[in-house]
Amino acid sequence: MDYILHISIMVLLYVMLSQSLMLTAGYSGLISLAHAGFYGIGAYVTAILSVKCGFPFLATLPLAMILSGIVAFFVSLIALRTVDDYFIIITLGIQVVAFSFMNNWMDLTNGPLGISGIPEISILGFIINNNISFFILTFLFAGIVYLIIRNIISSPFGRILIALSEDEIFTKSLGKNVYKAKIASFVMGGMFAAIPGVLYAHYISYIDPTSFTIDESIFILSIVIIGGMRNLWGSGIAAAVLIILPEILRFVGMPNNIAANMRQIIYGLALVIIMFKYSKGFVSKPYIGRESRLTPE
Amino acid sequence: MQIIINILFYSSIYILISYSFSLIYCTTKAFHIAHASIITFGAFFTYSFYYQSKMSIFIAIPIAILLSVLISLLIELFIYKPLRSKSISSLLLLISSIAINLILQNFISIIWGDDTKSIRFGNIKVGHEFLGAYITNLQVISIVISIVLFLFIILLFSKTKLNRQIRAVSSNEQLANISGINPNRVIFWTFLFSSSFAAIAGILIACDNGLTPTMGFNFLLYGIVVMIIGGVGSIWGLAGGALLLATAQHLGAYYIDSKWIDAIAYLILILFLIWKPLGFSGQHLKKSEI
Repeated sequence: MDYILHISIMVLLYVMLSQSLMLTAGYSGLISLAHAGFYGIGAYVTAILSVKCGFPFLATLPLAMILSGIVAFFVSLIALRTVDDYFIIITLGIQVVAFSFMNNWMDLTNGPLGISGIPEISILGFIINNNISFFILTFLFAGIVYLIIRNIISSPFGRILIALSEDEIFTKSLGKNVYKAKIASFVMGGMFAAIPGVLYAHYISYIDPTSFTIDESIFILSIVIIGGMRNLWGSGIAAAVLIILPEILRFVGMPNNIAANMRQIIYGLALVIIMFKYSKGFVSKPYIGRESRLTPE
Repeated sequence: MQIIINILFYSSIYILISYSFSLIYCTTKAFHIAHASIITFGAFFTYSFYYQSKMSIFIAIPIAILLSVLISLLIELFIYKPLRSKSISSLLLLISSIAINLILQNFISIIWGDDTKSIRFGNIKVGHEFLGAYITNLQVISIVISIVLFLFIILLFSKTKLNRQIRAVSSNEQLANISGINPNRVIFWTFLFSSSFAAIAGILIACDNGLTPTMGFNFLLYGIVVMIIGGVGSIWGLAGGALLLATAQHLGAYYIDSKWIDAIAYLILILFLIWKPLGFSGQHLKKSEI
């Protein structure tokens, strides 16, 4: 039972992550590989504040979101000077920089040793100390994130995002501030990614930089792509499939170190197959690629 | 002096990687991230043949290069070519190449393990005193190799027909096709040359730094940084970019700490994007100016 709860908590965390990435990657077309960085910022902020300063969960969560948002703002200022392929490479670079900060800034993050002893969450006297209550909490947060993102998308602002990802110049000609909208969507994506980071840190109660590597970014992106670039429910299904599928390897009795690599191989294979079969996503509404919006025809 | 030699060594590796990467980028218009695993394969095959099968270096290295080229050609023929014929956007090609890299990298770590290995060819690490610096045979060899390859590249790509075909395909694929150039064949040859450069670079890195499954990816990222700061398509720009990057990294490692090398590389990239977004050579980096 605990095992099932653990798996479902992880699925919910990744659903939140992929939905926050979907806001930037799916709706405004800014495919970012720096998402694990924001996830990590959330986790590290809450870990440092609650272990070293004794802040409660309700204080660290908004602080983590704000800090992640500020970082995302500066990142977007730099990254949005480029488009498409170059944007991916820049965000990939930022992910590497973020990882090297987590790994090397010994005084603050404790480097590769990580931070341990992150306390349990207590909200207004309720202490969340078992998997069931944590599952309920994560579920609530996932629901809230889902509702907020769905509202953002169906708001006028969300329509600007969709419009700019399909035809940037046309959207600009309608008098919309494209640049501001892109920055806003990137910042929001970063802020929402901090939430699962905070939850993850409290859930595992130990974090180290290896949880926030480039592979993690690729994994989140592959959930978004496999689920369909603009499909909030699709990402839920994709997250569940991609997390549960490798668990089968555990039952087959594969040794642990090979199983970790096999997981990555499965994700890679899934992505390649998706590219072949459904180059527009799994359960998706159409994602319009680059060509159609840049070449005047 | 020691620093200067190290800088020369690393910038020659960066030139190899970034040139081979940008060659593929020019013809296919896609970032070939799986190039990273070709670098790694070159190194690990050499390790296997030299250490585990006890072949002589002069047989082991060519076979390793051949095998890694073969892998990249298989990727091109069975994955990129069908994907291109579906005319999917270069963004999705980039993502699929990331996925391929993920597969190959984990494949390597399943076969050879995650721990750092090292290659030593006989007494190749023996050093000489040279103007007060300590220079190893390996560094001499690799600097010589990259100068030779550099000249080879310049010769090959200024005199031959292949060069004109590559430029034709990269500037306008359809027009090239109409004038009787088969783009797929040109791309095939590009992959062949680029991958052999990448495999050589991988072997050189392995001799100096040791082998890990992620080594190719790290160095490919430096190569991409060089390509962006040097500008696409100009080998002199790339050489300048490689020198700049290697200089900055080694001075940074010398004066601050070697663990910030990655951060320094991307800091340079960011500075370039802010002040000189078109790179050294001034050729167009962005695909659309809005």
